[in-house]
Amino acid sequence: MTGRAPRRRVLRALAALPLAGLAGACSAPQAPPPADAIVFRHPKLFGDPQPLDTLVGLFGRAHGVRVRRETLPASSDEQHLFYAINLRARSRAFDVLALDTIWVAEFARAGWLRDLSHAISASDRADLFHAPLASVSWEARQYALPWFADAGLLYYRADLLAAQGLAAPRTWTDLVDAVRRVKRVRPDLHGFVWQGKQYEGLVCNALEFIWGHGGDLDRPAEPAVRGLAFMRALVTAGVTPPFVTTLTEEPARVLFGRGKALFLRNWPYAWRLLERSGSPLQRRVGVCPLPHASGHATASALGGWHLGVNAFSERAAIAERLAAFLAAAPAQKALALAYGYSPPRRSLYADPELAAAQPFLASIGTVIETARPRPVSPYYVALSQTLQSEFSAVLAGVRTPSEALAAIARERRALASP
Amino acid sequence: MSARRLRPDAWALMAPALLVLAAVTALPTGYVVWLSLNERALFRAEDFVGLGHYLRLAGDARFWNALGNTLYFAAVSVALELALGLAIALLLARAGRARAFAYGAVLVPWAVPTVVSARIWEWIYNPELGVLGYLAGTPVNWLGDPVLALHAAIAMDVWKSTPFVALLLLAGLQGVPRDLLRAAAVDGAGAWTTFRRITLPMLAPVILVAAVFRTIDALRVFDAVYVLTGGGPANATETLSIYAYRVLFQMLDFGYGSALAVAMLAIAGIAALAYARLLRGGME
Repeated sequence: MTGRAPRRRVLRALAALPLAGLAGACSAPQAPPPADAIVFRHPKLFGDPQPLDTLVGLFGRAHGVRVRRETLPASSDEQHLFYAINLRARSRAFDVLALDTIWVAEFARAGWLRDLSHAISASDRADLFHAPLASVSWEARQYALPWFADAGLLYYRADLLAAQGLAAPRTWTDLVDAVRRVKRVRPDLHGFVWQGKQYEGLVCNALEFIWGHGGDLDRPAEPAVRGLAFMRALVTAGVTPPFVTTLTEEPARVLFGRGKALFLRNWPYAWRLLERSGSPLQRRVGVCPLPHASGHATASALGGWHLGVNAFSERAAIAERLAAFLAAAPAQKALALAYGYSPPRRSLYADPELAAAQPFLASIGTVIETARPRPVSPYYVALSQTLQSEFSAVLAGVRTPSEALAAIARERRALASP
Repeated sequence: MSARRLRPDAWALMAPALLVLAAVTALPTGYVVWLSLNERALFRAEDFVGLGHYLRLAGDARFWNALGNTLYFAAVSVALELALGLAIALLLARAGRARAFAYGAVLVPWAVPTVVSARIWEWIYNPELGVLGYLAGTPVNWLGDPVLALHAAIAMDVWKSTPFVALLLLAGLQGVPRDLLRAAAVDGAGAWTTFRRITLPMLAPVILVAAVFRTIDALRVFDAVYVLTGGGPANATETLSIYAYRVLFQMLDFGYGSALAVAMLAIAGIAALAYARLLRGGME
């Protein structure tokens, strides 16, 4: 956040919070020992920690507890490992934990998370988008509270498309045509860049191609084959440069941000970096849902974070309250104002104040509505290894889509019956 | 047996060192071997499975792929490092006044932490902005092509580790007696004959030592490749270390992961034994 106006809005949003916090405190008064704090583990914030500290401080004062924030290691692997090692040893060193969407089923199955189904009210269920709710669910129970949601978006060069009299693409055919037309006048330009390196990001991208062609990993049939074949064809047809096999989020964003590509698939975070002062693309970028094959619907992969409660926590009741407090609409609004995090609740996208402060959020809401979780499975980390290498093999042209899908189906069967 | 000639209190004197060795090497290694015989995965009951994981290893295509990548990486990179290192050592031995500067310049790649140099090389290889593509005059997908990627990683390893070999061989060159070289010159031997008949045989033990160090290092290669390619594309650069890391620390399957680690240890051990035999043969 830059400038003073947004900060004032954050403070105003925060001022509305004590009521919510106190309401919780009054219903079941508790006298927790003041000496030890409840510990909240979360990934590093993109920006000033002050707004989150203010939130947590409000909760602490309302409930007479001290809340200590602790930051997770930087990489996703290390975060996963940190939780796994500690929770396997039944550690009580943290009470509330922020979880990547893909870990909830695994941790729930391992018995490391408290069942939080009761903390999600009927109105919450109606308010939450489908994908975040699905990704915190394991065997029809909810083991975490959706905190914020991410989804894949298409960024495009509005200036270049307008010069050709083109609108934002709705289908993949539109996108390919647009690349061909713009390249005729700008042959130096790359068409469409996305994340094709062998890593978790490729799984999201490839699933989006599959879903956008009406396919699904659960039914590995013709549409899924078409989705993967399209992914490979982007490279062979010259729409996507061959070095997409080395691209992760940031290199792709930098390439697009230097004006070297027409289209970019990325997460919502890229918007602020493309629009910040000094960016050569300021006010020249548009954003829309990912294209789909004609006759099918757009679908983007869900990312984001959820809040869970350590099953071994000695102060589970108050930890649950903290998780519920941080995942409630007022706190999510404050965090959206402060950090631009996109909330997983429909109601917040209708909030006029939020829409005025973060106009970009309006375009994310519709995308999160169509988002889908990656396979919700306790074996997701193992499955993802197969997905990464098989999708990478298809993209590099060393395996056909049907071979890859068959290998993935075999691995899923093997994982399901250990 | 020389042990019989030891002073009676020798074992007592050695005990602290032996205890430390046992604590930091023997115990962890033994524990990994023990883990490899057991089922220790997140959702599976803990169980003794004997050689079960090793049988699974034999039928695991991903293991054989990683093994092939690792052996290829080690063979090509060590051969290139020895050849280049020897050439640089021979040049350095004649460096004369610029020697101090040359030593420093040669050592730089070895001094840079691997992860840092891998990041540097990632940029060098960048098809869009990299200097290599610029020099080639056309963008080449060094790290994103299944065939090129492993060779790109080998090139980085050669750049990084050749200085180590060069320095070791340079030390060996100092040990070649001048008299022999002068005698050869008096007998009318040319530079090539002198090198083949005197320098190379005298240097052989040092070359072998350098080869042992580099081979064992190359068989364990992790950081360089992991940073450059993450094992991709299509697992074309996945080495045994990367596979073991993924099974151990991402999938949290400590039983099977330990079996992979033991397999790596065995392969490095076989390589070391082979070199030791060569070395002994050379000494006699």
